[in-house]
Amino acid sequence: MMWRDVGVTLILSLILPVVAQGARHTPPGKPKLTSCRSPDKETFTCWWEAGSDGGRPTTYSLFYHKENSETVYECPDYHTAGANSCFFSKNETSIWVNYNITVVATNALGNNFSDPVDVDVVYIVQPHTPENVTVGVLEDEDGPFLRVSWEPPSKADTRSGWITLIYELRVKLEEAEEWEEHRAGQQKMFNIFSLHSGGVYMVQVRCKPDHGFWSEWSTASYVIVPDYIPRERSMWILIAVFSAFIFLILTWIITLNRSSVKHCLLPPVPGPKIKGFDQQLLKKGKPEEVFNSLVVQSFPPRSTDYEDLLVEYLEVYVNEKQELMPEGKDLQDVGCLKSKSQSDNDSGRGSCDSHTLLMEKCGGVESKDESSYEEPELLQGQAGSWERLERGDSQVVDTPDSSDGRVKTWPLVFSPSIHGSSDNHHYGTLEMPKQHSTSEITYSVPDHLFPTSTSFPHHHHPEYRDSLGEYSEYRCSRSPSTGVAYHWEARHPTQAHSNFNIRNLERQKEATGLGLPPSRSMEYVEVQKVNQENQLVLKPLSSHGRGPFQVQFGRAGVDYSKVNGVNNDNVLLLQRQREMAEAGQYCNYREKEGAEAERYPTQQQGKTTKDGPVATQLQESTCLTTSGYVDTAPTMPTF
Amino acid sequence: MHIMQSVVWAVLLWPCLVSLGVPLECKDEQGSIILCASISKEKLLDRVIQHAELIYRVSEESCTLFEEMFVPFPMRSQRNQAGYTCATKAFPIPGSKSEIQQISDKWLLHSVLILVQSWIEPLVYLQTTLDRYDDAPDTLLKKTKWVSEKLLSLEQGVVVLIRKMLDDDMLTTSYYEQGVAPYALQPEVLESVLRDYTLLSCFKKDAHKMETFLKLLKCRQTDKYSCFLH
Repeated sequence: MMWRDVGVTLILSLILPVVAQGARHTPPGKPKLTSCRSPDKETFTCWWEAGSDGGRPTTYSLFYHKENSETVYECPDYHTAGANSCFFSKNETSIWVNYNITVVATNALGNNFSDPVDVDVVYIVQPHTPENVTVGVLEDEDGPFLRVSWEPPSKADTRSGWITLIYELRVKLEEAEEWEEHRAGQQKMFNIFSLHSGGVYMVQVRCKPDHGFWSEWSTASYVIVPDYIPRERSMWILIAVFSAFIFLILTWIITLNRSSVKHCLLPPVPGPKIKGFDQQLLKKGKPEEVFNSLVVQSFPPRSTDYEDLLVEYLEVYVNEKQELMPEGKDLQDVGCLKSKSQSDNDSGRGSCDSHTLLMEKCGGVESKDESSYEEPELLQGQAGSWERLERGDSQVVDTPDSSDGRVKTWPLVFSPSIHGSSDNHHYGTLEMPKQHSTSEITYSVPDHLFPTSTSFPHHHHPEYRDSLGEYSEYRCSRSPSTGVAYHWEARHPTQAHSNFNIRNLERQKEATGLGLPPSRSMEYVEVQKVNQENQLVLKPLSSHGRGPFQVQFGRAGVDYSKVNGVNNDNVLLLQRQREMAEAGQYCNYREKEGAEAERYPTQQQGKTTKDGPVATQLQESTCLTTSGYVDTAPTMPTF
Repeated sequence: MHIMQSVVWAVLLWPCLVSLGVPLECKDEQGSIILCASISKEKLLDRVIQHAELIYRVSEESCTLFEEMFVPFPMRSQRNQAGYTCATKAFPIPGSKSEIQQISDKWLLHSVLILVQSWIEPLVYLQTTLDRYDDAPDTLLKKTKWVSEKLLSLEQGVVVLIRKMLDDDMLTTSYYEQGVAPYALQPEVLESVLRDYTLLSCFKKDAHKMETFLKLLKCRQTDKYSCFLH
């Protein structure tokens, strides 16, 4: 039994595969028409794909019938178009007619029909690729461009108008990723612009009938664009080069004229300059040396010819404070040598102009520097003249302290103030200068503030007279200690005449001067004479013996000189102590002027530095009454 | 002297000059003869071909629109359903290039004219049916309207062309009539949809026919030999 079962099983297992194999042969699977295409609208081809063949060799056949007829035709040509295809020739092709096509798969066991497909040849046209695609590089004024030209596929009859094709091309750089597509319409040529210089381009073309499918892309055509510089870029390069060139030239020119350009753009600020004034020395704190250089040895002019001098009046400044370091500025530190312009009423001399005449800040240093004066030219002329005059005059005072310098201070210096009690005779404290040395002031009479001690070369120097015309000069000298400086001011000649008190001295042999306590280094100045032009010729008393006009100060030891007063024209009226008779003459003069003499209160010391116009009115002091002093402080002339 | 002569001749013969300048006589709808501006045959043919091209393009777009909107997917792709084939014409239309090449110019032109005239009414009908559709897109309606109008002008052009080329003055333009709708079915029913779809497809095909005929005709006008060589 068991053996029989095994045997049956064995036989069955052997037979079954054979049987099964026989059973695998089935009717073929259903074929399927994949596509039908016509390249020229005159013929067309249909392709199908086979289903399972069922294990048996299967044959395929294609049948069709046209739209309005029932006649079924079989495919005329199975081989031309390859396997599983059917080719319809021109004779079998009708356009505008629907074909109903069916494929039948047949094998030994049966057959199978595919689904029917309706085909109208007109709508299945897919031409071949365009042919003879040529790409050329042409030159244009803007640069090179590509010209692509092609021909329609040979099979498509576009010439007779049977098929109308439209074309499309695409371009890209070889290394680029995306194509750039262009529609070319029905034309067979196309231009591509804006190329990358030196790049390699790929071009492809395809076509399509107005009612069909796109053809395949043609094979790529390569083209190399030659190197060129785009027009815009070349223009910019030219502009850049030109600009650089111009820039270089400008830079070179500026470099050559560096200094003048700098001068033009940043004009130098004019600083105060005093000739011979050394700022470095000043900073080092040696005022003496500084001022030494400014001293004009030959000042005051010592010419014996005093005619040239035209000193109208004296102005005395008292320098009460010790100022060793004048502030380095021009006027205040320097002697206020100012030439008054014709129209200028303002002295502008800072503290030099204070009415107290206590010009503490009136530097004794009189600089010839032009900058410190309003009319430097005049002064210089004057100074020069002074110098000249001075040199010529042997009697000229030498200021021991001053080197050669300009004499700023008139020897007549007295203190306008005040310290004195009312009872005291106000002696002008002409203490001067000896102490302070030439650094500040150069006094023509270093120690003697005699008006006579300084002799002014009284002759008019033609130069400065010419230059001045109506000139007035005014000198202020300061002493570091309280010194009073006389200001001799040459005023308007017309005025001077009347005001000039000192002129009286002329007659006298003795010039009134300010006596200075001999203990102090005071200078006596002797007014030598007053010339016709109302110039006071002073001469230092100490240095010389007796000049032609010796003005003695009276007793030795008496340092003061009396100032009678200041007349209207701000002229100090000096009083000669000894000779009252002359004082009377003074008075006469004064009366002549019609001014009353008054005494001005002495000014406080503290106000010596006061700026501002000096009291214009210099009233005359009483004639003779006192032997005292008149404060010249209020008698400062105003300008 | 010569100038005087020519002036005198011109004055005497001015009616002839006028008539010479107007070789064609155009008839309007009432049948009166009006003077038309002359145009050369080539230019006229070019314009006619342009018309035909445009008509075909627009009809193709309309068909696609309609198909997307209304035709269910299985029934697409230009299949002629049973019963809804294109109407056959009075005379056989050539079906291949070789056949067409055997036809004379005259027949080509006449074929075109017949085709054009046969579609004037159906297009009008199609317009009315499309208006009844609820959600017919505006572009579709505009296109169909435009096509029907252009078809009329195409017909006129072909008539003139026939007259010029064939010296056949016998044809008259067809009148437009508000035809009776042959099929008064409910719109948007599948049948009517399919019918309308068939109508559009057939019109599209015939438009292509017209275009092809005219282009072939043009080739013949320019270079007869090369046209047949291919």
